[in-house]
Amino acid sequence: MKIAVAGKGGAGKTTVSGTVARHLSRAGHSVLALDADTNPMLGISLGVGPEETYRLLAVRQGLDDGTIEHQQSVEALVEAFGVDAPDGVRLVVALREARADPGCICCGVTPQQLLGELEGEGRTVVCDMEAGVGAIVRAGKADVVLVVVEPSVKSINVGARVVAAAAEAQTEVIVVANRVRGEADLEAIRAELGDCETAVVPEDPVIARADVEGCAPIDIDSGAPGVSALSVLAERLVAQPAQA
Amino acid sequence: MPIGAGGPYPRFWATVGRRPARRRPGVIDDYEWPPGERPLRIVVVGKGGAGKSVVAATMARILARRGRRVLALDTDTVPGLALSLGAASAYPPPLAGAVEQADAGSWRLKEGIGPVRAVQRFSTPAPDGVRVLEIGDHSASGVGSVTPSVQAFYQVIHGLPEAKALRAWTMIGDHPAGPRQTAHDWAPYADTLLVIAEPTWKSALTGRRLAELASAREAAAFAVATKVTSSGDAKRVAEIVGLPVAATIPADEAVLESDRLGIALVDHAPSCAAVRAIEQLVDGLVDGTVRSVADR
Repeated sequence: MKIAVAGKGGAGKTTVSGTVARHLSRAGHSVLALDADTNPMLGISLGVGPEETYRLLAVRQGLDDGTIEHQQSVEALVEAFGVDAPDGVRLVVALREARADPGCICCGVTPQQLLGELEGEGRTVVCDMEAGVGAIVRAGKADVVLVVVEPSVKSINVGARVVAAAAEAQTEVIVVANRVRGEADLEAIRAELGDCETAVVPEDPVIARADVEGCAPIDIDSGAPGVSALSVLAERLVAQPAQA
Repeated sequence: MPIGAGGPYPRFWATVGRRPARRRPGVIDDYEWPPGERPLRIVVVGKGGAGKSVVAATMARILARRGRRVLALDTDTVPGLALSLGAASAYPPPLAGAVEQADAGSWRLKEGIGPVRAVQRFSTPAPDGVRVLEIGDHSASGVGSVTPSVQAFYQVIHGLPEAKALRAWTMIGDHPAGPRQTAHDWAPYADTLLVIAEPTWKSALTGRRLAELASAREAAAFAVATKVTSSGDAKRVAEIVGLPVAATIPADEAVLESDRLGIALVDHAPSCAAVRAIEQLVDGLVDGTVRSVADR
């Protein structure tokens, strides 16, 4: 199964990706967490820590100064540019920014290729996308797109566009209404995105604290309101038979 | 061709051999103020949600109210700066109209369109006389159609540093989240880089990476700490980002409210703590104290 996570910058894509990945892994799934953001911060939400997260980024950039070998297969890329995160999640920094070379598998690879090639063997891939809409167009056929929105006009606007792009690609969409503080917030999101299935993640001080401390919210309190809402979402995702 | 003679119907006027003499007010004229003072040329970068657009837009509005001509530049293909500025127009003229295909895969500005003319024809008005130039909104129309507008925007901004008619203009650019625009020089007009970062690890580490990517450029770089709630926050941002902090903007419910309502912060809460902090930042950039504090 392939899950792409998209939305405006700052909406909470990385927190949703990391926490859903950890929940899925705890439920016994083999999970590959793909950081397909050119600003890769998924390691923090998965719980590998800020230093390790920044080191992984540096490893990817090491291709530029020749300190790291280029990899010739997607599986080798998972080996070279990844690290084991808690609960057995494998984290891989998928993209690199500078001097992308379409001729080299580890430099020119797109989320679409990665999502295509990494699935199989019962593996669940959770892909944290780049902010904005373009990423969804490049993501190819994920089985489901989680569109993360917070209750601000800009975030909802971007979310509506991601939903439209996903619909065009005939991909299933679940809207993740994030940082919801009350009925008014939910109404604002439903007014624009009411036609979509919606998972509600309440504003959660534990998630805010995890952001400040640079750790995974699930490691502070797996029963916190926002964290457990993402557990329900993870169950919902795998309850459905993966599409062929 | 005289500056200011453009307007939306240049081709028609060219055919009949006359042009309106009237200059469009508030766009480009012989603006020369303040004499002898270098205008601010700023680009705002940072992680998504850190507050880039709010800082950029509020600075733009404050400077415009103080009598400066301000060009705000939105480098995002999902534009948001116009909303933060409080601009009424949701549909700016498509910048794609400024370029033509030179040959396969390369684009050039059309004959007669330089950066000044592009600003004249394709920028839209925001309150207080600010002009906004956007790549444009292409998010609904697929990937292919973005290219001409992106190319046009790139060529226009690379012409801005040499554009004489705009030499006294203040320019404030807003980059999208992510490192691409910073890595590939999408702010050639800027001599000051503001890295916007919250005191969270994701935000501040993103800031560090952007600061590293930008270090090759000859721009003065500062961090701006946003959503600050405690006294140690600014120090934390400075340490992680690795830049001196030029401003500390407190967490402010008014910012959240204006985001939720889709209203410019300066209009929603003109004297809130966040606006006051941004005013101080503007003061420090205008009188040079931001730079001198950073030098110490």
